[in-house]
Amino acid sequence: MDVAAAHVGFVFAAYALSAAVLGGLAIRTVITLKVLERKLEALEARQAPRRKAAT
Amino acid sequence: MKPIAALIRRDLGVALRQGSSLGTAIGFFLAVVMLLPIGLGPDQALLQRIAPGALWIALLLSVLLSADRIFLDDYDDGSLELLASGPLSFELVTLTKACVHWLTAGLPLAVIAPILGFLVNIGPDQVLPLAAAMIMGSLGISLLAALGAAVTVGLRRGGMMVSLLILPLYVPVMIFGVAASTPQTIMAGSGVSSLMILAALSLAALVMVPIAASAALRAYMQ
Amino acid sequence: MVQSFANPTRFLRLADRLTPWAAGATAILMAVGLYLALIRAPQDYQQGETVRIMFVHVPAAWMALMVYSFMALAHGTAIVFRHPLADLAAKAAAPAGSCFTFLALATGSLWGRPMWGTWWQWGDARLTSMFVLFLLYLGYLAVWQAVSDPIRAGRIAAIVAIVGFINVPIVKFSVDWWSTLHQPASVFRMGGPTIHPSLLVPLGVMAAAYAMFFLTLWLAAMKAEILERRIHQMQIAEAGRA
Repeated sequence: MDVAAAHVGFVFAAYALSAAVLGGLAIRTVITLKVLERKLEALEARQAPRRKAAT
Repeated sequence: MKPIAALIRRDLGVALRQGSSLGTAIGFFLAVVMLLPIGLGPDQALLQRIAPGALWIALLLSVLLSADRIFLDDYDDGSLELLASGPLSFELVTLTKACVHWLTAGLPLAVIAPILGFLVNIGPDQVLPLAAAMIMGSLGISLLAALGAAVTVGLRRGGMMVSLLILPLYVPVMIFGVAASTPQTIMAGSGVSSLMILAALSLAALVMVPIAASAALRAYMQ
Repeated sequence: MVQSFANPTRFLRLADRLTPWAAGATAILMAVGLYLALIRAPQDYQQGETVRIMFVHVPAAWMALMVYSFMALAHGTAIVFRHPLADLAAKAAAPAGSCFTFLALATGSLWGRPMWGTWWQWGDARLTSMFVLFLLYLGYLAVWQAVSDPIRAGRIAAIVAIVGFINVPIVKFSVDWWSTLHQPASVFRMGGPTIHPSLLVPLGVMAAAYAMFFLTLWLAAMKAEILERRIHQMQIAEAGRA
């Protein structure tokens, strides 16, 4: 039982690392997407008044 | 037949006149092989044990890193595009260039390497098996190096990419090459089968590399 | 069916509808899986608690291999069918795949240390081929960075993906052959000699959770790629008008 307890540290490290890496990946993906969505909105807003002026 | 012969004659002529590939390859090989005993220390027995593996690594790296010129010159001055639209199939062109590199650099180095093995205290009974294995594998090694050259021909930092992409492909060549080179495995009977597998790998590369290399070159030229 | 997704706008509409479901499924599966893995699964009589590492190690390794296969398949589709989004599909999958591979290596190392007393074992077939796979992922990502023209980058990346795909079983086979020849002192074996059903169920749930996680992120990454292309086109049009 003692041996198993000593190894719990490895288990914790494995799960913590997995959570950190996968969580970081998810955050980075979402942030990239948000930034691009905002950039697209800005571009479309710039083009809309131009279209209005053309008509 | 004549266009192929013309291409071979031209490339051979350039290679022999410039001599840069073989020179680069030998230079790099010597550098690695001379640094090894210095790095590993005076233990001669240790050196002899690792000699086949060390020589194989030096051979692979030397061929790989000296191959970047295979397509570069023709790519830079536009003759590669001419060759792509010419009468020969582009796969045949890339195969020819790779084989010229093999004849002028890969094969000579595979012959010289075991002889230079004395620099890493190779045992006298190891030289011939090593030579046989290296020569048997040299075609595959040159072909894969040509693939690396094709895939990175237009990249600025091509050297690092070549190593990353092609060294994994070298792993089986090296495994079976070293297995065929060590007297222990030869006595155990697996030396010949390793040679056969090396030959099979070279044949597989013969089929795969022209297709992949010409695809890569076409991607860069468009 | 794949052809109908060639239209980026239609793909985006589908992705937008699918993403919430995928995210929800991920959350549920992860929660259930973690509960089963950490609380319900019994201790292995040989390995004790460390067997629980299997539940994050094996799914990561499976995903690493599956994602690379998906990438090779996507590029193959791009070449054969000239599907306009297929290259992007592979590009969107690569970061996740490389993370899975890294986790497979790291958690495997953490599993190996208490079990076999060693962080790493050079010359083991699975380790070597997984390491090669990791390098291939890095090389693949580097291609998209290094080549400025996206179309050309897609073609070079395709070669890396496809050549690498052939590579991995070759490396595994050859090192396996080498290992059996040289009879290493210890041989890695996944999950022990047999997998008890009480361990199989958590493993399955975690594997499904990882797969759903990948699907969710991949949909988001695809949307990002498509939007980025659209932005680029609009910027060019804007510059042309100015």
